[in-house]
Amino acid sequence: MWFDIKLAWRNVLRNKRRTVIAGIAIGIGLACLIFYDGLIIGMEELSIRGSTETFLGEAQIHRKGFLDTWDTALTIRESRKVIDKLKTDSRVQDYSPRTLAMAMISSPAGVNSVQLVGLDPSRERHVTRINDAIMEGAFFEGDNPRDIIIGSELARILQTGLGDRVVITVSMTETGDLVQEMFRISGIYHFSIKEMDQGMALVRLPVAQTMLGIDDRIHEIAVRFTQLQYASRKDLPFWTTYSAHGNEAVSWEDRLPQLKTLFEMTGTFRAVLAFLLIVVVIFGIINTLFMSLYERLFEFGVLRAVGTRPWGIFRLMVAESGSLGVISAIIGVIISLILMGLISLTGIDYRGIEFAGTTFHDLLYPVMRLYQFIIYPAGLLVFTLLVGVYPAAVAARMPVTEATRRSL
Amino acid sequence: MNRDNGSIIRTEDLKKTYHDSGVDVNAVRGVDFEIHSGEFSAIVGPSGSGKTTLLNLISGLDTPTSGKVWLKGKLLSNMSGRRLSDFRRDHIGFIFQAYNLIPVLTVRENVEYIMMLQGIEKTERHKRVGNMLNQVGLSGMEDRLPPKLSGGQQQRVAIARAMVSRPDLILADEPTANLDSETGSDLIDMMYELNQKTGMAFLFSTHDPMVREKARRVITLKDGRIAENNIKK
Repeated sequence: MWFDIKLAWRNVLRNKRRTVIAGIAIGIGLACLIFYDGLIIGMEELSIRGSTETFLGEAQIHRKGFLDTWDTALTIRESRKVIDKLKTDSRVQDYSPRTLAMAMISSPAGVNSVQLVGLDPSRERHVTRINDAIMEGAFFEGDNPRDIIIGSELARILQTGLGDRVVITVSMTETGDLVQEMFRISGIYHFSIKEMDQGMALVRLPVAQTMLGIDDRIHEIAVRFTQLQYASRKDLPFWTTYSAHGNEAVSWEDRLPQLKTLFEMTGTFRAVLAFLLIVVVIFGIINTLFMSLYERLFEFGVLRAVGTRPWGIFRLMVAESGSLGVISAIIGVIISLILMGLISLTGIDYRGIEFAGTTFHDLLYPVMRLYQFIIYPAGLLVFTLLVGVYPAAVAARMPVTEATRRSL
Repeated sequence: MNRDNGSIIRTEDLKKTYHDSGVDVNAVRGVDFEIHSGEFSAIVGPSGSGKTTLLNLISGLDTPTSGKVWLKGKLLSNMSGRRLSDFRRDHIGFIFQAYNLIPVLTVRENVEYIMMLQGIEKTERHKRVGNMLNQVGLSGMEDRLPPKLSGGQQQRVAIARAMVSRPDLILADEPTANLDSETGSDLIDMMYELNQKTGMAFLFSTHDPMVREKARRVITLKDGRIAENNIKK
């Protein structure tokens, strides 16, 4: 067997130019697959971060049924205990409690319905990037309870600017009575997502709780994990722990199913690309091996004549195919490392672009994962071995007299 | 049935017909002959007389249309493809006109290749390769690659490869055709000496008068039939 491998390597390297050209062609295919995979992962992570860091959080805890009805009476049960648990949960990096209620915001020039969000600024800035999206003013500096932050589109509709007054009207949870409070715009944010820039108004948590008459109760806790992938791991105890006592914990995947569907679609594209590359690989290898076979037909005839069994010829050709696969895999990995390294230096600038309901806030970088440099090259190697079976079978089954026609 | 009687090869009414572009070509038309162990023999005849086809049939590389071939008393047509490969490996050595060494293998590796197929252990292989290369005058060239050798040297390696596994029969197809007459003559002398020393039978397909001169038995083929089968006293 070792002799077969040694002989195969020497045969593959016999025509170095042809082997290198074939290796580069197949290697480029592999590099494209690795690079595309890295780019897709980068885009997925950017999309997830765009969604979760904008406002959503990577996970959320609510009272069961709240997301279906948005009934402000459905506050989180035993929220203090829940928060105490979150503080000690090793997988939780930070959390932010919120109240959520539909409200009306009005200025002398206009009126609009909004989702009134009561939040704790000191916690919120560790969970989402709303702080970074402030384009005018500041994100709750000082402790003025009359501060309100609105989106840029809402400011345009209300024809208001920084320092202008607006009135929020909201229905009290228990009585249904309407409550009005006046606020002064202390900040205007811009996310490039119309729904958010037009439909949200942020006030301090105690102010919102007072207006809604819900004491210190809350409707939502946004959670940020220490690792993003925890949000996708439904086997973690987090989900059962916080989906108890009438509450429920949901991940960004539950809140943004369209994003998950999109990722599944990109997975399909990836599979299609992989299939096309496999076809390229198949034809590349078959072509190279058949060129090699017909060039050395007489040599195979001699090997058969001196007593090599057809199985020995078959093994030799498959080993040559495998050797070509190893060379192609090495070339492919080198090309992909260079490509990913270069793009990682500059990144791709899609910032500000809205994509599937989220906005890219950062440069897009291809993400390198160990499996890309193990699974894909190994897959290539397996395919080259499988593809090598065809020319190997042809070589093994070729009549000796046909192969040696020039002499014996 | 064993039909040995001291013969290494025996054929009986051997025929081979090819179908080429709708035309039947009778390459071998009922050949009966016998080569005994240790004989230095030659098949001669003009181009197209059926020499190569006959060697292919004798070695089991090709199958006859009809007739029988016994090699060391074994009927070749009774053997499976795999057994035939093993039988060739163990009992027949081949020398080709164009040397046909494996260019990526060194002289040593080329010579020891068949012994590797036979499963002979490395120490024994190296010992036999050393002896054989010494006999063909190529000592010290073990690690060279064939393309670095002259035509005569390559053919010596081919002779060493054919003989090193100690087969009963060496089939040599025009072994001197690609060599100058002096080198060719040297090689024929060397093969004759090895034949005398080892007792391996040699069967040449050749036009070379030097081979004809040395051969004990000369079989002349004409139009696929044996025209003469002369044995020197």
